[in-house]
Amino acid sequence: MAHTVIGGSIVIDGEVTGEEALVIQGTVKGRISLQEQLVVEESGVVEADIETQNVDVSGKVTGNILASEKVEISSGGRMVGDIKAPRILIADGAIFKGNVDMDV
Amino acid sequence: MNESTTVIGERTTINGNLEGDEDLVVHGRVEGGISLKHTLTIEPTGVVVAEVQVRNAVVSGVMAGNITAEDAVHITAQGRMIGDIRAPRVIIVDGASFRGSVDMGDLDMPRSSGSADDALRPAPVAARRVPQAISTGKSAVQKEDGEEAVAPKPKPASRPKPAAKRKPAPKSKPAPKRKPAAKGGSARKPSAPAKSKSKPKKGGSKKKAPAPRAPSVGRRKKARKR
Repeated sequence: MAHTVIGGSIVIDGEVTGEEALVIQGTVKGRISLQEQLVVEESGVVEADIETQNVDVSGKVTGNILASEKVEISSGGRMVGDIKAPRILIADGAIFKGNVDMDV
Repeated sequence: MNESTTVIGERTTINGNLEGDEDLVVHGRVEGGISLKHTLTIEPTGVVVAEVQVRNAVVSGVMAGNITAEDAVHITAQGRMIGDIRAPRVIIVDGASFRGSVDMGDLDMPRSSGSADDALRPAPVAARRVPQAISTGKSAVQKEDGEEAVAPKPKPASRPKPAAKRKPAPKSKPAPKRKPAAKGGSARKPSAPAKSKSKPKKGGSKKKAPAPRAPSVGRRKKARKR
């Protein structure tokens, strides 16, 4: 499984697009557009609008998420923004503030 | 923090600025700017259209933009680059494609000084002797011909010989003029013009020549120094 890993000390300021999975351990500001899965790890910080298939948030996300399948915010995750996805999972301990729209 | 490696997958495009404190391996596409404190590796499928500032760069893919590296830039056989390189060490392997300028910056190294002869030669010329100044003038002409590096170096060593031959030539010309003035000198003088052309080649500048011709020699030396 090919995927992109953004390391912990990397800061990207711009637009990330791709057709493969993306794992963020660093910082991304701007826009993310994927056709596969996005994983924001505990050390990851995302200040961007996200458009993807799946999102798994364990870090910090500030921005809107548009997912075609599922959005999951795990217990270490913190999110501020709107979520629009057919399936949502918010685990105990997660921090979330925003709107949820599951009617996609 | 963690010395991990960031990998940009083959089907991922990053459009913007990327900076970090770790290695970066690009299989996909990056446009904008890259600033790393470690190594950038562009894989054969990678395309980077960006201004790059890193410690090391290894280009096996396509690179369009300038690279400024603290350590080395390495373009492998599959690498293709258009842009300027500014790094103290540059390695371009046979088969690589490159178009741009290379600035290694540090000219203190002996090798780089050899290749930068055009800039550095005027300094040693002034420090050298006058006859060699003429020879370096020739070397300057040869530089214009495109010859560089080792070739001109041994030439100044061999040039003093023809320069020495030149010395006796002007001596022989004024010699006949001073015959009447030097008649009162040694008897060899009337034969001097006949043999002056041959003698000065060897001993003219050494043995008898300096004695009677002291004032003229001094004048000649001054003229040459000019």
